[in-house]
Amino acid sequence: MENIMFSLNSVWLVLGALLVILMQGGFILLEAGSTRMKNAGHIAGKTVFTFGLASIVFWAVGYGFIFGGNSNFFIGLSDFFYSGDQAEGMAYSTAAFFMFQLAFAGISLTIAFGGFAERAKLSAYLVFAILFSVVVYPVVAHWIWGGGWLAEHGKQDFAGSTVVHLTGAMAAFAATLLLKPRIGKFNKNGTSNNIFGHNQVYTALGVIVLWVGWFGFNGGSTFVVDDGFFGFVALNTNLAAGAGAVAALIISWMVLGKSDIPTILNGALAGLVAITASCAFVETWAAVLIGFVAGVLVFYSVKFFDRLKVDDPIYALSVHGAGGVWGTLSTGLFATPELATVGKPGLFYGGGFSQLGVQAMGVSVSALYAFVVSFVLLYAMKKVMKGLRVSEEEEIIGLDVSEHGNYGYPEAFIANEEKNRIAN
Amino acid sequence: MPYSQIKKWRDNKWSDHQDSSKALNDFHDEMMIKVFDTALERHISEFGPVPCRYAWFVMGSGGRFEQAIISDQDHGLIYEEENEKTNQYFVTFGKELAKGLNEVGYPYCDGNVMSSNPVWTKSIKEWEEQLSKWLTEESFESIRFLLIFYDARVLIGEEAYCKDLKTIVHDYIKKNPRFLERLLENTQHVKKAVGFFHQFLTEPHGAHAGSIDLKQSGFFPYVNNVRLLAMKESLEATSTLTRLKALNNMSKYKQNLSWCANEFDKLLHYRLQYHKKNTENYDDIHYLNIKELSKDEKKEMKHILLNGQKLQEYTQSVIKGTIET
Repeated sequence: MENIMFSLNSVWLVLGALLVILMQGGFILLEAGSTRMKNAGHIAGKTVFTFGLASIVFWAVGYGFIFGGNSNFFIGLSDFFYSGDQAEGMAYSTAAFFMFQLAFAGISLTIAFGGFAERAKLSAYLVFAILFSVVVYPVVAHWIWGGGWLAEHGKQDFAGSTVVHLTGAMAAFAATLLLKPRIGKFNKNGTSNNIFGHNQVYTALGVIVLWVGWFGFNGGSTFVVDDGFFGFVALNTNLAAGAGAVAALIISWMVLGKSDIPTILNGALAGLVAITASCAFVETWAAVLIGFVAGVLVFYSVKFFDRLKVDDPIYALSVHGAGGVWGTLSTGLFATPELATVGKPGLFYGGGFSQLGVQAMGVSVSALYAFVVSFVLLYAMKKVMKGLRVSEEEEIIGLDVSEHGNYGYPEAFIANEEKNRIAN
Repeated sequence: MPYSQIKKWRDNKWSDHQDSSKALNDFHDEMMIKVFDTALERHISEFGPVPCRYAWFVMGSGGRFEQAIISDQDHGLIYEEENEKTNQYFVTFGKELAKGLNEVGYPYCDGNVMSSNPVWTKSIKEWEEQLSKWLTEESFESIRFLLIFYDARVLIGEEAYCKDLKTIVHDYIKKNPRFLERLLENTQHVKKAVGFFHQFLTEPHGAHAGSIDLKQSGFFPYVNNVRLLAMKESLEATSTLTRLKALNNMSKYKQNLSWCANEFDKLLHYRLQYHKKNTENYDDIHYLNIKELSKDEKKEMKHILLNGQKLQEYTQSVIKGTIET
């Protein structure tokens, strides 16, 4: 029997890893759809190579930093260049666990790169992929999931609203500040222009791929299949996503007079990000509420960053940042005594402010760490690499050509080039 | 007087004619007539005397006598004789006119509603045929053209030409009252400017962020719906205010429309007052930045916008016959 459970758990973890890696495909569609044609090939391609790079770094040091023994305040210090060895006493394959964790590290990095979109040099992606995967992500993940001080503190973050989403969003935030807005995003009088994404269908498809992938993300985070608890986690996940989409539709319709499609899509994602921390700790009605609040929050967050003149092309700061903060805090409000296997029940279940305090402290410290370290790293990169951003001319012709010498949509552009050549 | 001189005259006199929409529009008329005279003089010197009687009419906001400080050109010609040579004469003249108006400060019309376009410069007989076609074809474009034509106001020449042509429209509508419903559909879509929380729905992005689209959200509901009622009642008047006056003289409308003229007048007033201060180009003229309004003005503006929606609903029910009129 133990053997069967071991195998089932391992299958479940690999399936989870598979779904989470598939989310990279969701991000490709989401990001490419939300940006312009001339950058589409670049955005799709860089996602694949940065995930590849992140995989190797995770194998070499990331995994060891997060879960290794002999740990100091920041990181663990064993299991580097992970060999696939089975850890003693684990109820599932350690290699499967490794794969699952690797997939998470990759998602956090892809979120961070949302803040780079349409203007960063390819070399900046390359260097930051390594630095983020070595210095930023493992520390927060170690603190919360690797037995670090926030874990001991009782911080609840079931599948990573803080660890994965907020960490990525904070790096994205640092990047947007250092990269500055895209050409043409803001006017001299302070108003902003809408730089439309080139394919709303891609964006919507991306959201659905992510939505489905999230069942691996949250459901897989049960690690084990006994008692089928992952089903409940999946249920909460779906409810929050749905509520987020509905809330975003309603709020955009009420405030703008029209229901805005990008807002609806962001609402679903924000609901998913928010429920990530709390999906295992709250009742279904709370999942609906958490998603609903996230859907409203993401709408105002986008407006807020726009007003700050922060150019966030694919809304990473609002979806993963604001959504991640809210999701982390939400368990401090709604965690039930029966479900709070980590930490204490929330404010509305007689837990008082103690868990909420733990969550608030944990989320603040993690966000601060991710932001400050990312900012310092990117700032140093900017100095050493003589800028993170492509030249103005390259930005205008598009990164497909400037960085790769090829087009994501050849027919759309080469025909024009021919025409110009003939005209000249 | 060459165009450049008319422009200079315009630039000098400009500020003396901004006290009211009426003063401004009288000034526009005077200016357009000056341009016409110059254009005609030039044309005669090159192509010989005018071959027959004609009428030059303006449409759009010019036709309705409610132009803003800057406004693009919309105009056409009707002439008596039907032959190719006369047609050539007037279309070429139309080109000269459009050029002149543009030089003086009326930008070319994006939709090409100008005398230089053969669609808008025709003999009486061709105009009659064209109108019948527009009436029966019921395509999106023909309905748009018909609605544009319905605001035509003769500035120079035979007023009767235009009046007679509109009679064709009136007769058709009397025989086919359902046609009004088709016209209604064409003007149903209104860009909302007041939202669920009674807040202004301003432009979220772009150069006009923070402004409401005064043309689409403010003027259109009044202009379009009053025009439809005018068509229903075969009115000759072309300005929204005079149409309203005529409608209010009919007992069936009096109760429901008495408030309307006052609201529209305020709208004209707001546009004028506001744009005296900030007008850089033709595009700006359509937008009103609500930050520039006082608290009371904001309240009043919301009232005007919401009443536009009310008028829209009222017109719908009148045209669809759900209210007895």
